[in-house]
Amino acid sequence: MTLEGLDISILGPAMVAGVIVLATHVPLGRQVLSRGIIFIDLAIAQIAAMGVIAAQFLGVPEHGIGVQIAAAVAALAGAALLAWTDRRWPKMQEPFIGTLFVLAATGGLLLLANNPQGGEHLKDLLVGQILWVSYRQLVPAALISLVLLAIMWLRGGRLAGVLFYALFALAITVSVQLVGVYLVFASLIVPALATSGLAGKRQLVAAYSVGIAGYLSGLVLSAVFDLPSGAMIVWTLAACALLVQLLPALRAPAPAAR
Amino acid sequence: MMKKILSALLLGLFALPACAKLQVFACEPEWGSLVQELAGDKVDVSVGTTAMQDVHQIDAKPSLIARVRKANLLVCTGAELEVGWLPQLIQQSGNHAVADGPGYFMAASQITTLEKPSQVDRAAGDVHPEGNPHFQLDPYRVLKIADGLAARLAELDAANAATYQQRLADFTTRWQAAIKRWEARAAPLKGRKVIVHHVSWIYLEQWLGMQEVGALEPKPGVPPTSAHLSSLISTAKEQGVYAIISAAYQDPKPAQWLSERTGVPVVVLPYTVGGDAQSKDLFGLFDSTIDKLLGVAKK
Repeated sequence: MTLEGLDISILGPAMVAGVIVLATHVPLGRQVLSRGIIFIDLAIAQIAAMGVIAAQFLGVPEHGIGVQIAAAVAALAGAALLAWTDRRWPKMQEPFIGTLFVLAATGGLLLLANNPQGGEHLKDLLVGQILWVSYRQLVPAALISLVLLAIMWLRGGRLAGVLFYALFALAITVSVQLVGVYLVFASLIVPALATSGLAGKRQLVAAYSVGIAGYLSGLVLSAVFDLPSGAMIVWTLAACALLVQLLPALRAPAPAAR
Repeated sequence: MMKKILSALLLGLFALPACAKLQVFACEPEWGSLVQELAGDKVDVSVGTTAMQDVHQIDAKPSLIARVRKANLLVCTGAELEVGWLPQLIQQSGNHAVADGPGYFMAASQITTLEKPSQVDRAAGDVHPEGNPHFQLDPYRVLKIADGLAARLAELDAANAATYQQRLADFTTRWQAAIKRWEARAAPLKGRKVIVHHVSWIYLEQWLGMQEVGALEPKPGVPPTSAHLSSLISTAKEQGVYAIISAAYQDPKPAQWLSERTGVPVVVLPYTVGGDAQSKDLFGLFDSTIDKLLGVAKK
């Protein structure tokens, strides 16, 4: 046990990053869960990473805005494709997402065979580390999240086909670079899963509480026990989700009660 | 009076308090061990990585940032080995004393590196433009780095400068004697051909006169193709390769795969301090490396 990592200037930016990610992912997570397409975030993140590799293949510089544009364009293209398959073959959406995921992952490997320098960026994009986040980096992420939230609010939380996929793609492209793909998945699915017995505002408040409690306790425990922060937060998110099941008002209904 | 207080305060900012030890953060175990040799209990050393991990990348833990924050001196390899995480770590620590200047000691700046490309060509793989950074297994380069490091310790902690000088002299004597011993023992390895996993052994090969005839990773950081593997198999069979070298932290599967198809034995070397039970310090690391390389012939 150690207390030296328990320092607000170390954990502060990470916590703010967590709040920014949760802001968009909690409401999106509810939709992902009700649509039954929980692995879509992994597929979109992988497509964004492949976009970055392809951009470098075409000579776009490694750093700066070009990489971000490439990631966003690829993610939006992937989202458009998935919005189309969703309309055309709604029952087949989950297998399509899985197939797209492995195609993007291995497509990246094939491109990398001739451009290995992209490999480090592929890793950067998929395993963003929450502790490396700086406040300067959080400003654009916060702005994009605010815009996405405003659009969701204007639409009354109901997002149809293409709009849902486009917003989702942009939110994932931002968050994966901040906190990595494991935390993105956990932030999206775990709070929504824990509060699936609720509806409306109550669900949102409960899901945000689970998310924030998970990030906060994960950061503190990772400092105290000197463990990697991202992995720790995934586990505390799950623990908080289990704990709220002890509150009768929040418990997910058993199948028989439905 | 005011002036006196002010200058005392300023002095206090720059000089270390008499009771506080110099805080050293070493990126890799070999440099932690070298600091220990040169400074003993005059400093507190903390090491950021272990021999069992690939130092090209690390998992971010809060304590890493906290340790860099309180460090007076960073001792790292440099030559872009830690480029994936050290810049972020220094930035997050907000510690300007180790961001550059005397508090920022890169071993690579003390020596000349091998394989420094005349031009950085993407097609050549994950190359380091500043040369191959895996130089801790050349004892002569280690000695040069020890010189530079002792001088840096003395610069930052003038009160103990004499101790550092004396410990450097002592280390140099023991190290030079050890080099003679290692070279005599390793004489049978001269001219032996080896295949490596990652290109992290050229300094050892050059020192001991061994010849690298192939690498499992055709380009650093890229998985091999089937054509590359079949050419490796024929190289191994035709050229009478002595051993396939893998590091303790690497996945042994590729080396074993090649060994099964060619009959050439695999030797897993500690690679750095802590890589096996014998490698408790720099001396143990070299003893163990040479023992294991010689042990191949007895198999």
